Amino acid sequence: MIWRFIQSLMLMVMLSATSHAQQAVTFATNWKAQAAHGGFYQAVADGTYKKFGLDVTIRQGGPQVNNRPLLPARRIDFLMTGNLLHSFDNVKNDIPVIVVAAMFQKDPQALMAHPNQGYENFSALKNAPIALIAKDGQFSWWQWLKVAHGFKDEALRPYNYNLGPFLSQPKSIQQGYSVAEPIYVEQQGKFKPVVHLLSDHGYSTYSTLIETRAETVKNNPDLVQRFVDASIIGWVNFMYGDRTAANARMLKDNPEITVAEIEASVALMKQQGIVDSGDASVDGIGAMKPARIADFYTQMVKAGLYQAKDVDLSKVATTQFVNKQVGVELKKILTKQ
Amino acid sequence: MKRLTDVMLPIVTLFLFATLWEFGVRWANIPAYTLPAPSVILHSLIVNWTSLAASWWFTLQITFGALLLACSGGILIASVFSLSPALERAFFPIAVVLQVTPIVAVAPLILIYVDSTTAALLLCAWIVAFFPILSNTVTGLRMTDRNLMDLFRLYRASPWQRLKLLRAPSALPYFLAGLKISGGLSLIGAVTAEMVAGAAGRETGLASRILEASFRTETPKMFAALALLVLTGVLIFMLFTALSRVLLAHWHDAEQLTDTGRTL
Amino acid sequence: MRHATAKPLVELSEVSKRFKSGTLALSDISLSVDAGEFVTLLGPSGCGKSTVLRMVAGLDSPSAGSVHAPALTTDKDSTAFVFQEATLMPWASVFDNVWLPLRLQGLSQRESKSRVFAALKSVGLEDFASSFPSQLSGGMRMRASITRALITDPKILLMDEPFGALDDFTRQKLNDDLLRWQQERAVATLFVTHNIAEAVFLSQRVLVMQARPGKIMHTLRINEPYPRTPAFRTSMTFLNYCRELSVALERAMLTETSAQ
Repeated sequence: MIWRFIQSLMLMVMLSATSHAQQAVTFATNWKAQAAHGGFYQAVADGTYKKFGLDVTIRQGGPQVNNRPLLPARRIDFLMTGNLLHSFDNVKNDIPVIVVAAMFQKDPQALMAHPNQGYENFSALKNAPIALIAKDGQFSWWQWLKVAHGFKDEALRPYNYNLGPFLSQPKSIQQGYSVAEPIYVEQQGKFKPVVHLLSDHGYSTYSTLIETRAETVKNNPDLVQRFVDASIIGWVNFMYGDRTAANARMLKDNPEITVAEIEASVALMKQQGIVDSGDASVDGIGAMKPARIADFYTQMVKAGLYQAKDVDLSKVATTQFVNKQVGVELKKILTKQ
Repeated sequence: MKRLTDVMLPIVTLFLFATLWEFGVRWANIPAYTLPAPSVILHSLIVNWTSLAASWWFTLQITFGALLLACSGGILIASVFSLSPALERAFFPIAVVLQVTPIVAVAPLILIYVDSTTAALLLCAWIVAFFPILSNTVTGLRMTDRNLMDLFRLYRASPWQRLKLLRAPSALPYFLAGLKISGGLSLIGAVTAEMVAGAAGRETGLASRILEASFRTETPKMFAALALLVLTGVLIFMLFTALSRVLLAHWHDAEQLTDTGRTL
Repeated sequence: MRHATAKPLVELSEVSKRFKSGTLALSDISLSVDAGEFVTLLGPSGCGKSTVLRMVAGLDSPSAGSVHAPALTTDKDSTAFVFQEATLMPWASVFDNVWLPLRLQGLSQRESKSRVFAALKSVGLEDFASSFPSQLSGGMRMRASITRALITDPKILLMDEPFGALDDFTRQKLNDDLLRWQQERAVATLFVTHNIAEAVFLSQRVLVMQARPGKIMHTLRINEPYPRTPAFRTSMTFLNYCRELSVALERAMLTETSAQ
């Protein structure tokens, strides 16, 4: 009797102990929920974050939303960014944040064109009379395109995330994520656009990076490791397992998207090797190599975006949390099924 | 002596404020990417002067271009309204629609329909600046002294004589009041439109510099561009206040000095 | 002086005026003004004196009856009007204000310059040609207004309680001046006031009106010859005329209350 009582007491203590271990964490993305965020939503929906002791809230981005200042301001714990240019800017301006994982080995940033308008070759794009580029692109990779590939400012028109102008002007080109916009174009415009991935033409940045504060890495590396590992597992499950719950979660955050679009997007991500190719297939999703980061930086310096000494590369990213083959076994299990 | 005090007072206050800001930031160790000190902003302004100056010039062109269009349109349409009450009743609601249209929502749409980005920005700034001038000028034209109207009728003045010698001068104070309002609004409209809808390539104003600096986390540069914007607003206000004084001081209540030497 | 054989300059025959609101403002008004004659309309507020003036100026038309006046002919500069407020254009200088009637005729500034300056000199305002109305006193503004009225050498001068807003001293001075200018030019004057002393001092004939509806209920002939001096104001004759008008006015007010 007394033993039973002591047992239940110990159970209650243990339960309360584990519930205290659920650490509240906020993760901000760079867009409204879409397939390119799928792995994170998966880890929330199927309880992977919970298993790692994390109570994760995903905070969406959007067209007029810029979540980036929230990280150094300590309003969020982790941040998703789209490319290394943001990280270079941070370090250049002494903002104490650092990249801890790269979920995409390829940046899906792409340029789309109408078929049969002569844009089948990438080199033809720079002569387009109208290039619809959004503000964040205008101030980053568009500058690289001008120097490295001869694109001209005269063609630039502001892109406000409305497909109308692109669909109605056959000679125009537009930016998009290779795994997203082409799907919408096909739905609304009833044609398959020509898609040119920037990463196929020298834009070698990693993408969908996880950033956090340098002080978090220093003072609480365990938290960072758990978040990174859980996110990686989330991505493996999302890409290769049952993503129904993740899809439902994304629909809840962003009602404008459909399951069909998400599925089409995942197919493209696999086909183009966005998430899980090259280093990632060996070292696990999220893999990063400092040499590649350095090489990308050199290219950006050549394109005039930075001066060589602007950025201390050692502060840009740390590989201490990745390249540990996390999720590789799980992937093998899931894909053998 | 009085005029010197008038000028020095705001300058000294501004200087004190800047000093407080500078030392506050340093003492609290606020990083430059959150809130830069005035010295840092000034440094950024100097370093980036070429690009900021070019953008400033572009924003000024849009602001004053739209203002000019708003004045011409406002005066013309107000005159038509004063000659035809039927037209006024028919078209005034449309003018009101322009006043309440949120530029933030409409700017991206305008950009889709208008090919040239500069034209689109001019249009957005015009929409915001047009109504106060129209409304005030219409009121001013209506406010013509009854007895003077009778006098002109007595001497069989032609409609043109009546417009030139009586209605226009009567309406001038009201028009200038509208202009003072529209000056600031035109700037806001130009900046808002560019912020929301973006601008293309080489034709970019201060709003684009602010956005660019924000995206690239160059906060001091963002503040430098903001400072230029604020300065522009102040200069516009001062310009139209001075214009009003020059044109009206000798006769209108609004510009008469009271005994204490302060303007009413 | 009245010339029995000459045709009157202004003639109203059985004029009535009903406003759009339905109020009968004037009923059966008949009066005439000869060339050079000074006639005053005297009555309480609301008796329609201003309406009569406006009809003579061609600014209003009667509902019944006929009006003959120079303003209703092609003679453009025949009629001048002075309002209760000086009604100067506040944005224009005194010169420009006096120049206005000539300017509306098509005369340039150069062409009008000597005439305007001469006119300003005759009223003592030649030093204020470049001043603006806001810089002038009430009396000076009124003098400028009268100068403007007289610049076209009109045949008839219509004045609607022009001195009502001024203090007694200025009013008396302007009365003296007005008579002098009027006699110099022999311009007919139709003058509206509710001030008895002013009516007696200025006019050859005073028409007393009652209100609601406006009717002329008494005519007083003042036989004092021109020029009239300040001494006239303190004479017995003056007092008697004032008394007669006072009684007439009182009767007018009584008729009004009994008619209600």
